[in-house]
Amino acid sequence: MHVRSTPPDAEVVALVLAGDTEAFAFVIRRYEAGLLRFATRMLGSRDAAADAVAESFVRAYRHLASCREPARLRTWLYRIVTNRCKSHLVRRSVADVSLDDAPPMADPADTEAALERADQLLLVERALADLSPDKREAFVLKHVEGLSYEEMAAVTGERIPTLKMRVHRAREALLKVLEDHA
Amino acid sequence: MKRWVVLALAAFLALPLAAQSVRGRLEGRIPSAAIPAVDSLIQFASQEGLPTDPLIQKALEGGAKHVPGPRIVAAVQVSLGQLRDARDLLVRAGDQPPVLPAEMTTVAWALRRGLAAPLVERVVAALARPPRAAAMHAVADLVAHRFDPDSAAQLIIEAVHDGVPRERLLEVSTAALQQVQRGHTRAEAFAIVRGQLPNLPASARPPRGNVAGARRLASPAPP
Amino acid sequence: MNVIDPRIHQALDGELASEAVPVELRRAVAQIAAAADLLAASPPGPAMSLESRVMAEIRRPAPSRAWRLIRWLVTPRAIILRVRPAWSVAFAAVVAALTLFTAGDEGPELAEHEGIAQFVGRFPEAQSVHVVGTFNDWRPGSIALEDQDHDGVWRATVVLPAGTYEYMFVVDGERWVPDHLAERLVADDFGRENSIVIVRPARR
Repeated sequence: MHVRSTPPDAEVVALVLAGDTEAFAFVIRRYEAGLLRFATRMLGSRDAAADAVAESFVRAYRHLASCREPARLRTWLYRIVTNRCKSHLVRRSVADVSLDDAPPMADPADTEAALERADQLLLVERALADLSPDKREAFVLKHVEGLSYEEMAAVTGERIPTLKMRVHRAREALLKVLEDHA
Repeated sequence: MKRWVVLALAAFLALPLAAQSVRGRLEGRIPSAAIPAVDSLIQFASQEGLPTDPLIQKALEGGAKHVPGPRIVAAVQVSLGQLRDARDLLVRAGDQPPVLPAEMTTVAWALRRGLAAPLVERVVAALARPPRAAAMHAVADLVAHRFDPDSAAQLIIEAVHDGVPRERLLEVSTAALQQVQRGHTRAEAFAIVRGQLPNLPASARPPRGNVAGARRLASPAPP
Repeated sequence: MNVIDPRIHQALDGELASEAVPVELRRAVAQIAAAADLLAASPPGPAMSLESRVMAEIRRPAPSRAWRLIRWLVTPRAIILRVRPAWSVAFAAVVAALTLFTAGDEGPELAEHEGIAQFVGRFPEAQSVHVVGTFNDWRPGSIALEDQDHDGVWRATVVLPAGTYEYMFVVDGERWVPDHLAERLVADDFGRENSIVIVRPARR
């Protein structure tokens, strides 16, 4: 077995299209952490996110030939996952991300600091879940995934001013929740 | 009265468990090809006066997780090495052999949680009297939160010397973590908590007496 | 909708240098940045890898049309049930009455060397969750967590002898997951991490 260093996206895509199925593992390894994080934030559930991302990878593999700019594989993958998450939310009939009253308790002896951090996280997650899916998507792509507005436009197919407005509204809603609980 | 009945029943149930051979506990739980090797590692431990339960637990854990036999044997071997290191460390730090099994387990925990051996040795030497489990976990919790290891050990040692009961040492580390949450630097947090010793803020205390909804395990848990 | 100072947005969009942000607005900028950090850091839990799952799927030939139809027919689907609130109130009353008058469960009396361990995890799609660890000889299936209100949050409260234990959750009988909320983790020597719970003796 020869050792491969991780080749650039365009090269991996070419390998897979040439019939080297195993090369697709590079794509998974490179992007799964970010995509899982994004989908978890969109769906409010790690299990649902894992399903959505796994389905997206399979879909991406099957339609790899239609990826017009292999060098922008990342954006293309985010687009597939975004669509997958949206249809998942629609399937759930309402876009309710159920971030319920999970008390972030692990055990009574656990450190207070961890509980406070978990509390804060729960607060932010709830605020995120209260946003509309569009705003949630915009906020997460911008601030959690660190995409530029240009990349976000490529992922979502929306115009930059629209995305900016969504991010702004999301920030305002989030700040209000944080201030109320300060 | 009721409690005595429960205790007697528990002791009765525990007897056959204790008497059960190691092989008996492993059979059906780990791949049979791995049993002889695991059994002999456990015999070594027993002959050397090391606790055997952590090794049995490691094997059972591997079996439950469907790990292949050779990897289970390797993991038990690693655990055995950790217990030997723990015993040697305790002796170096001044414990008289034969060293208490619980202390070996405690030190093995501390090392697995990432505390450096010299630091563990220092805590052991400073707290001549066992049990040291709470102290070790308190230091490890602080280090896991990026507190300076030496200062963390110092704080916990001082807490013991100032008369904080052993079972409340985790509250000392919690108090320091709370100060950081309130915006203090780690050094300031140490100074504040040290200044308050031996008093501790009321924090997440273990529950008392009856706890609604709590369940007991069907069979006695291992020590 | 409360509109915030546009300079906060400019700073967060990288259009305004952080030194140029007035002091009174920096807190808001920091709050959003901290919230984003929290979200980025914690879709909690150690590495979950989809590689083997996805690769297994793509190595299989694509399913035929007929097979896709069969799969569609046998896949469970959510059904929305409409119930008048009056019925659900009545149902809740019956459940409450049964719980109150039949069980009377105040929990066991704790001995001096015993304490309580609470296990909590969020597994919205799970059918079953068990906690398995050194307290039950890693015997799968002996301590089940419960999700009584079907909110995806599974809990169990267990009386254990005071001590330190390693454990993991087992979801749907096959998926081993560490406790994402546990602060203490330790390598399990099998390539994963166990969570640690310290049970302190109950104070009387």
